[in-house]
Amino acid sequence: PAGDSWGIFTFLCAALCNLPALPALNCSEELGTSQSIQKTYDLTRYLEHQLRTLAGTYLNYLGPPFNEPDFNPPRLARAERVPSATVDLDLWRGLTDNARLAANYRAYSRLLCYLRALDGQAGTAELRHRLGHFCSSLQGLVLSIAGVMSSLGYPLPAGPVGPPAPPGTAVAPNDFLKKMDDFWLLKELQTWLWRSAKDFNRLKKKVPPAVVTLRLEARGF
Amino acid sequence: PLPSVSPAADPAVISPQDPTLLIGSSLVATCTVSPESHLRAEDLYWTLNGRRLPATSYTTLGPTTLSVALTRLNGSKQQSGDNLVCHSRDGGILAGSCLYVGLPPEKPVNITCWSKNMKDLTCKWAPGNEGETFLHTNYTLKYKLRWYGRDNTCQEYHTAGPYSCRIPKDLALFTPYEIWVEASNRMGVAVSDVVMLDILDVVTTDPPPDVHVSRVGDLEDQLSVRWSSPPALKDFLFQAKYQIQYRVEDSSEWKVVDDVGNQTSCRLAGLRPGTVYFVQVRCNPYGIYGSKKAGIWSDWSNPTAASTPRSERAAGGCDPKGGEQNTTLRRELKQFFGWVKKHAYGCSNLGIKLYDQWRVWLQKSHKARNQVGKDPST
Repeated sequence: PAGDSWGIFTFLCAALCNLPALPALNCSEELGTSQSIQKTYDLTRYLEHQLRTLAGTYLNYLGPPFNEPDFNPPRLARAERVPSATVDLDLWRGLTDNARLAANYRAYSRLLCYLRALDGQAGTAELRHRLGHFCSSLQGLVLSIAGVMSSLGYPLPAGPVGPPAPPGTAVAPNDFLKKMDDFWLLKELQTWLWRSAKDFNRLKKKVPPAVVTLRLEARGF
Repeated sequence: PLPSVSPAADPAVISPQDPTLLIGSSLVATCTVSPESHLRAEDLYWTLNGRRLPATSYTTLGPTTLSVALTRLNGSKQQSGDNLVCHSRDGGILAGSCLYVGLPPEKPVNITCWSKNMKDLTCKWAPGNEGETFLHTNYTLKYKLRWYGRDNTCQEYHTAGPYSCRIPKDLALFTPYEIWVEASNRMGVAVSDVVMLDILDVVTTDPPPDVHVSRVGDLEDQLSVRWSSPPALKDFLFQAKYQIQYRVEDSSEWKVVDDVGNQTSCRLAGLRPGTVYFVQVRCNPYGIYGSKKAGIWSDWSNPTAASTPRSERAAGGCDPKGGEQNTTLRRELKQFFGWVKKHAYGCSNLGIKLYDQWRVWLQKSHKARNQVGKDPST
């Protein structure tokens, strides 16, 4: 199993690197794709945790009823700009790895854009700081997904990753509707992070375990 | 209930939409449902910040329009606006309006500025009247050189607290600046009084570097402090002033030495022997470029610690206070035996003899202690 091969590898590397008689050797290994997927999975859990605090603070800023636990506003047509994580179960199961990763990549790229567009004057300096920190972490997730896709040989989804903005629905027409948009943005972010954890768990099981490559570069050896 | 996707047109319209109101004012708002929703005025109700408003405040204005009267409004519960919502009977949200209830801003006050090494200018101020306007209030720091027409706006905010701004470059010397702060929110604007200052009068600098504290030979009540002139202004600090503060290790009371002048060394005297002291130094760029005014004191340097030598005449042990205790004790005993000598007749001989013997013993042991040196004796 993975543990044993790691142990052997480490021993070999240490032994070879410590032998004074041999000329200098370079030991290096490549990160397995499965480790990248694990890292991405870990990131989604971390973001989910961060989001809990951020959403709580932001919804308090919006005020009741937005911060009430049973708040369930109508999903107005305009709110469908935000990509929905909700998907038919069989459809979800049947997704190819490429499609699964692409859906995640597209969703978080769009969500990141909308988050960044949240009112720069919103609330206290503390809230703005939290938002900024969350956006940085979310950017990290997008890059991590891109990394997994490229290591599996999949092309990144083409086309604009910003909000498509169909004419007439670009900006919320009044402050109350904007609050509703903000509420749904946070809700969808939350749903996506729940879904992504399952997406990456599934991917972890399908991709072969870490391939360890020992590269020995000996000068004049 | 399952969330439903409403038709493309808004299900209802509220008027006024997102109004701004003065604290204490009243408001009548109307909710008009669209014909597609098949709702009527009697199917509607209002909530404000999640709490249902009493039906007694409602008035039906038409088959599809319901109004609500709000009186003596308090300041907004949150700066994003109070949420006034029109609902259908089953609780569904049809429309909402954000009410911004507050006060116009007051004139910002107490503008103070300082220039670090003449490289930048930072100013801070206080909002007028404790700043509670219930509305988001924006502050803008503006400045211009006297006798030159152009107003400039400061860009870097919150550098020294929430009400502060920093002008990072292109500072002009020898011409006074006019500086003021504008506060604005949805209800209005307020402008502070103009402050006029010369950069050279508000210069501050870094704390003096390389602070060293050392003993003065064997002197047990003195320490010598040395430091360097702050490098950023070292070519200009001909008349700099310095201040030293010091305290014993376990006290929080600082002693300040004020008359250090512009030397870069000083000797502290009258200190306790065998004690650890913390010392800090700070600098005031007084008289920079011929300015007649004092500048602004720098921060204190990081504390430097040093200890005074221990006195050898102290009772050889580790407790520096031991010596003092012995002298007081001796004095008291002396007085007691003196008294016994005077007042006790019968036993007086015993008392005197004992007293004399004790004194002789005391002198002997003192000599012995001095000869042995550092050995702790009983």
